[in-house]
Amino acid sequence: MQKRLSRRDFLHAAGAVGGSTAAFRAAMALGLLPAVANAQRPELGSLKKPKKVLVLGAGISGLTAAYELSRKGYDVQVLEASFRAGGRNMTVRNGDRIDETGYPQVCNFDKDPDLFFNCGPARIPGHHKELLNYCQELDVELAPFINDNRNAWVQDEAMFGGKPVRAREYFNDSRGFIAELMAKSVKKEDLTGPMTAADWEQLREYLKQFGELDPQFRYIGTARSGLAKHDYAFPDQLKKPLSPSELLKSRFMFIMSFGETDDQAAMMMEPVGGMDRVVAGFMRKVGHLVQLESQVQKIQVSARGSEVTYRRNGEYVKAKADYVLNCIPMHLLAGIEHNFPKEYSAGFTAVPRGKLFKIGLQMKERFWEREGIYGGISWTIQDIQQIWYPAHGIHRKKGVVLAAYTFDQNAGEKFARLSPADRIKLAVEQGSKIHPDYGKYVETGVTVAWHQMNHMLGCAAQWDEALWKQWFKTLQTPVGNHYLMGDQVSYHPGWQEGAIASAHHAIADIDARERAAGTVAA
Amino acid sequence: MKRRSSILAGMALAWVVGSASAGNDFDYCLLCHGANANGNYGIRAPKLSGMEPWYLARQLENFAAGSRGTASEDGSGHEMGPVGLRLKTEGTLDAAVQFIGKLESKRPAPTVSGDVAHGRELYKNCASCHGTKGEGNASLNSPALAARSDWYLVTQLVNFQKGLRGADERDTYGAQMRAIVATLPDEKAITDVVAYINTLK
Repeated sequence: MQKRLSRRDFLHAAGAVGGSTAAFRAAMALGLLPAVANAQRPELGSLKKPKKVLVLGAGISGLTAAYELSRKGYDVQVLEASFRAGGRNMTVRNGDRIDETGYPQVCNFDKDPDLFFNCGPARIPGHHKELLNYCQELDVELAPFINDNRNAWVQDEAMFGGKPVRAREYFNDSRGFIAELMAKSVKKEDLTGPMTAADWEQLREYLKQFGELDPQFRYIGTARSGLAKHDYAFPDQLKKPLSPSELLKSRFMFIMSFGETDDQAAMMMEPVGGMDRVVAGFMRKVGHLVQLESQVQKIQVSARGSEVTYRRNGEYVKAKADYVLNCIPMHLLAGIEHNFPKEYSAGFTAVPRGKLFKIGLQMKERFWEREGIYGGISWTIQDIQQIWYPAHGIHRKKGVVLAAYTFDQNAGEKFARLSPADRIKLAVEQGSKIHPDYGKYVETGVTVAWHQMNHMLGCAAQWDEALWKQWFKTLQTPVGNHYLMGDQVSYHPGWQEGAIASAHHAIADIDARERAAGTVAA
Repeated sequence: MKRRSSILAGMALAWVVGSASAGNDFDYCLLCHGANANGNYGIRAPKLSGMEPWYLARQLENFAAGSRGTASEDGSGHEMGPVGLRLKTEGTLDAAVQFIGKLESKRPAPTVSGDVAHGRELYKNCASCHGTKGEGNASLNSPALAARSDWYLVTQLVNFQKGLRGADERDTYGAQMRAIVATLPDEKAITDVVAYINTLK
């Protein structure tokens, strides 16, 4: 007789959740907690008379603000330092420039709509509602993005002598082992809470399902790890489980839950034809407001309005505005002349800049598909960290793989110090540990060291708890009519959704000020 | 429908892609080194404006040749290396130096504090080459030290000390600095002497 979770138990659990929510609401009503800011796109009022807005930076946050404000009677101009709009939303195709300080490159991929590389953001989770709303509104066609592929490889010098194993083997053989170990070692009498002896059988059943154990609670292999052979003219034959002690030697355990995290779990999406279709969508609406190659040198805020000085064609140009929405990366803003209060500007240098690094390689054959890999990511405990296989263009001749994407600042620096050719050489050496013939398929590649890319010189701001506590509120709060924006001023740096949230936060505040001043049409 | 929307999208982007005009090329210097190249601590890029043209040129040559900025611990030096090389190979190194020379130099706000009296004592070893007022001496190939990014002076003294700079035999003057920096035995001595340099006008 199996004990099941009773209805009463369930109601108790639900009650506990309801209780905390009720407590939360009560605390809010008492003013103990700040009201949760509206995460939806703000409904702006239309101005009776235009107000001049300067947006500094044509990345996702700047374009979002320009799009929303320009529709409501604001006179918007966007100044962008680079030769292109989009900021870190950057897709390269045949002939595109990669504007890296010291190592400028040109993308030599074949001219083909499937041969592109997303140098910055490359995937959109299903709960990034604001971005998805804009995609819908701006006619950005989306396709599923494969982020987690159990047929892809896991490779680490620390296990199996560096021989790669299929992800499904790592996941399921280690789970089977852990489940068997626990099923054997948990004694009924040891359960003293939160589970009790009465839960013992149910727990063992869970473990059996968790690891796919046999009736004697032994792990003898599972089809979850893949069959030894997929020849359906013959009976299924399980693979022999991998050695658990080898599996646990790998630092892959720190990465294995990646595809289960809030932002990385299915369902993920990508714009058809490249992430910069999002930029193109915004530019169709506000491209006429964007001025490129205009690098800001000076910002003077005052009660009457702000003055921004920028360089264009080697000349200094001045512009005045009622509001300034500033998306310049903080670490660059620190080098611009300004009259901000010290306690505000000190924050610009407080948050370290990210040093993420990516490589894209055009492969002359989609060899990975012959290995049964269609989209997804192979993981390796090397500098390159990951190899992504394109989910678009399946079974076509060529494809662009992501050949390195490191989350590690030091590995990012290591790559950045090399010339583009040497970066690719290193990525091929390391990739060959996963696919032995890797190098022979490489035709051409692009390398993107974000902390050396012009007009960026950094990737996602490296916030941590202490920095958030000390600086975030200060940097998010406007100084006069000057607002700092970008994913850097969000609790979701490194994501376009964070950039959009910062823009919505700023324009909602502007709207509130205008409404209070009675300048909004009824 | 699918094809139509991607063609439209391609057209919208087409006009965005232009080439950087010639006038903007050296603006890249300002991206890192800040407005008027007065320095940006945010990305550890020192103030360049006000530096002697001969000193700027020599350092760019050193970066281009790899006699500076190649030590593995010298992260910022590594970022500058390919820039020096690019200027050298494109034949725009002198023009870059001229560009910097035209910028409006501003005395940077001090960020380093230390024992100024102790720094004054230590500075006696520096003064023979760099001048009693930190004004520099071109005939001795010694750049001015006053009104520079003080945190950068600290970084470079530490680099000389650790052999991250001046260890390459092609960097003759760097080697001299490497020898003399022995008079600054520790980090405190370095911050003290820089705190004193901050008082020089």
